[in-house]
This record gives sequence, C-alpha cells and structure tokens, in this order.
Amino acid sequence: MNAKTHANPVVRAKNLSKHYAGKPALDGLDLTLRATGVTAILGANGAGKTTFIRCALGLTASSSGELSVFGQRPGCDTSRRRTGVMLQEADLPDLLTAREHLTLFASYYPNAMSVDDAIATCELGAFADKRYKALSGGQKRRVQFALAVIGRPDLLFLDEPTTGLDGEARRALWDTVRKLAGSGTSIVLTTHYLEEADALADRIVILKDGRVLADAPTADIRRAVGGALIRCVTTLDASAASKLAGARSAQRSGRFTEILTADTAATLRALLDVDPAPQDLTVTKPSLEDAVSDLSLFEQEPKQ
Amino acid sequence: MSRLNAFVTEAGAEIFKALRAPEFLLPTLLMPVAFFSLFGIVLPGSSQNTAYLLATFGVFAVMGPAVFGFGVAVANERERGWLDIKRASPASGASYIGAKLVATLCFAALALALIYAIAGFVGGVGLPRSVWFGLLATHLAGAIPFALIGLTLGFAFNANGAIAISNIVFLALAALGGLWIPVMVFPAALQRFASALPSFHLAEIALAVSGAPGERAVMMHVAVVAGMTVLFAITALWTWRRQNA
Repeated sequence: MNAKTHANPVVRAKNLSKHYAGKPALDGLDLTLRATGVTAILGANGAGKTTFIRCALGLTASSSGELSVFGQRPGCDTSRRRTGVMLQEADLPDLLTAREHLTLFASYYPNAMSVDDAIATCELGAFADKRYKALSGGQKRRVQFALAVIGRPDLLFLDEPTTGLDGEARRALWDTVRKLAGSGTSIVLTTHYLEEADALADRIVILKDGRVLADAPTADIRRAVGGALIRCVTTLDASAASKLAGARSAQRSGRFTEILTADTAATLRALLDVDPAPQDLTVTKPSLEDAVSDLSLFEQEPKQ
Repeated sequence: MSRLNAFVTEAGAEIFKALRAPEFLLPTLLMPVAFFSLFGIVLPGSSQNTAYLLATFGVFAVMGPAVFGFGVAVANERERGWLDIKRASPASGASYIGAKLVATLCFAALALALIYAIAGFVGGVGLPRSVWFGLLATHLAGAIPFALIGLTLGFAFNANGAIAISNIVFLALAALGGLWIPVMVFPAALQRFASALPSFHLAEIALAVSGAPGERAVMMHVAVVAGMTVLFAITALWTWRRQNA
C-alpha cells in the first residue's frame, strides 16, 4: 500500500439516497473511493450508476445522506476545478470545431494542457478542424473525452465512454485511461462492457437498485465471473450439485440443474463420477448480467 | 486575467456559433430593416412616420437576437446535455450568460445599423449626433430584459417548444407593444394590455429620446422597464432552479 491510499477519500458517499418522484434511484448507497486507480461501476440500467455520477458532479441534488468530493460539497468551485467528466447523454454544440471546443474548455482550468497536446493525446488530429456536427459518433465521443481530460483532472468520471467507438478507438482510449491512471488520476468508469472493466479497472463496484451489491478488487470479481455455468439434466439435486468440487453455487431451473463453477474441469469430473450420464449438458460462460443479478456470487466486503 | 481570457473565448465562441447559422442570423438581422423600410419608407404617406418608426423598430430589431439567441439556443444546449458538461466544469454560469449577451448586442448593433442607415440616408431623418447615440444606447439596453425573457423560455421549454413559444412571444411583444403600429390607434383594452409589455415601455423611452412629439413620462417608463427586468431575472432563476431540482 502506498501513501496515497491513506489519503483522504476522493469521493465519499454515506447512506446516499435520491428519489425521483418518489421512486428511489439511489437507496442508501455507501461508497468510498480513494486516490489513484480505476474503479468501474457496473450494474443494469436503472441501477443508479448515472444518478450517482450526477450527484457526485453536483448536477443533481441528493435527497438524503452524505456525499463529499475531495472532502467538499459536490459541485463547489474546488471540486469542479479538479474534476473532469464525460457524460453518457451529452452532446456539444454542433457549429464549433473540436479545436475551438478544446480552446474554450482549456480556458476554464487553471492548469490545462495545451490544445495541441490534448489533440495529440486523444488522437483528434485527423478531424480537429472539422465542425462537431460533421463528425462520426465515435469521433464525437473522442472529442468529449478530450474535453474531460484537458484540465488535467485529479478525478475523472467516464460514463459509458466507449459507446459508439470501434475496436481500435476503444483500445486507444483505454491506453489513454491507463496512462492517466498511472500518473495518479482517480478514474471512475461506468460501462456495459465487462471486457472494458476487466481491461481497465483495479476495482469493481456493482450497483443494484441504488445500492452497492458488491465492491471488490477486479481480480476477485474476475474469479467469480470468470468461471463457467454447467447446465444439464442430472440426478443430483441442487444442494448436492453445489457441493461438487469447484462448484460455487447451484440452482434448479425447470428440469435443468445449473452449476456455477470456478473450476470447470474439476466440477465436470466430480459430476460425472456421481452421475455418469447427465443429459443435454452445456458449459457456457456466465454473462455479466448473470453475475450482477446473482447476489450469491459476490460477498460484500466488510465496511471500513 | 484568466477569467477575462475565459470570458473573451466564451464570447468569441458564441459569435462563431451564431455566424455559422446564417439561416437563423440573417432573418433576425434583415426582417426588422425590411419591415421598417416597408412601413417607414415605401408605403404612401409613411414619410411623416419615419422618425417615429425609427424609435419603435429599433426596439423590434434588438428583440429578435435577444429572444431567439437566448430562448432557442439555451433550450437546445440544455436539452443536448451541453449545459450539464459546462456545469460540471469550472466554467462560470455568469460568463456563459454574459458571453451570449455580448453576441446578442453585436448582432443587435448590426440590425440597428441597417435601420439607422435606411432612416438617415433614405428616409431623410436628421437627428443631432448626441440623439443618435442616445437612441443607440436605449435600444441596446433594451436587449437585457428581452434576453432574460428568452432565458426563461430556454430554461422552461425543450428545444422544439422554445422555438414555437419564442416566436409567439416575439410577435406578441412586437405587435401588441406598438412597435409596428402606434398603440394610440389600438382599442382601449389593447392599449391597457400594451402597458403590461416591456416592448411598449422601451418604445416610449426610445420615442422620448429621439424627441418625438408628445408628452411622455420617461422616468415612469424607465422604472417599469427596470422593475420588469428584475422580474424576468427572477423568473429565469426560478425556471433554472426548478429544472435542476
């Protein structure tokens, strides 16, 4: 653990709630993010990811609970100066060029990158002087990313940053994110792509119904999700199946038994020892949705 | 220094955006001078009215850039999430509104220059230089209450709604405020209604400044416009707060 880990939390939410017309979007969320590294926030649509980011940016007032950014009120001058953001549903004015947008944004920050540096870092050179309106969806996202980083933020929120990007542009953005993380920026990422969280995040937070369902280092989550789902018609019942070697959990689904395993080969061997002729046997990778919707997959880390 | 730099950059961006949308800019610049030429120069018998209409059409000319430049543009930028990005950044809200006001004043000045030129060179309106400058100052100051009306509409309605409502408000302020036809010829009920409109009071101030015949309680009109300006600032703030509740 380095010294920065012990520094004050960058974002701290305690029992944070936000209701829209009586419906909770955040429902007692507890989350502390400390300096440096990439934290991925995962969750189904409506889990509260975007609401949490909007509250942390000071764009939306929370209904109750505590929330601080750099130890201060979200949206105050100091926290805005130290924060960069790429929002999921936000578009820039059509009639300015990428370079003009960057020039304007650079003027807001006390210690901004030069516009040329930002264009180089985010690889906008090919279209920096085209009007925003004329850019492709992926190019627009890259301009938005450049606006998020031009102020050299200490904290960077990326809400679904690679939606609309092709594979190459996505990997280029990942490289930039890794570089920023390496130079000490705290990055909070929401994404639908497990692959993206896997590639970038040191830590994964899973939200469900406005609460933290799981919060663990990526390696732990990867182990859980990285296993396989064995599905077959077998003589074993679910509780016996869950005790097979390597099995994490098992459940009955219609006539099938579904076994989630961390060690596919060991579990299959054990299964075949007990039931030599399971029918309709399939082995698949559990999807992120499976993982997120299955509370039993993750153990909640003890609260600090 | 860096704040000034941010403001100048912001104002430049606003002017660029407007210049690159000639389909919106040209009508707001050309419509007032076209109407003024028709009512104040071309129509038979209009030559006695040229000086009068110069004062009222000047108010009309600043109203377009102010109501549309704020109403439609702010609604659009808010709806597409651009204002969220700006609010999350260290950009100052006052600088954003101030920059839009600078752009509005530039285009209002252009529209006024066209009308003044037609009035002076074609319509034969001869005013002392100090009166021309007084009129210009009055007309440009009128942009502020109209900009605040536009801002309220931009915060209250989505982009499409703002276009429709801004048009209705713009035309009502012009026609019912007596900018095209003097309120004296209105029926009594419409005359009373006109006195609830900032366009009417601004036109009365401009008429007084230009030395048009007739008695006018200038200070009363100034007080009413000032009061309305404060009111529109409050409605703009209120719609903004409600939007972000």
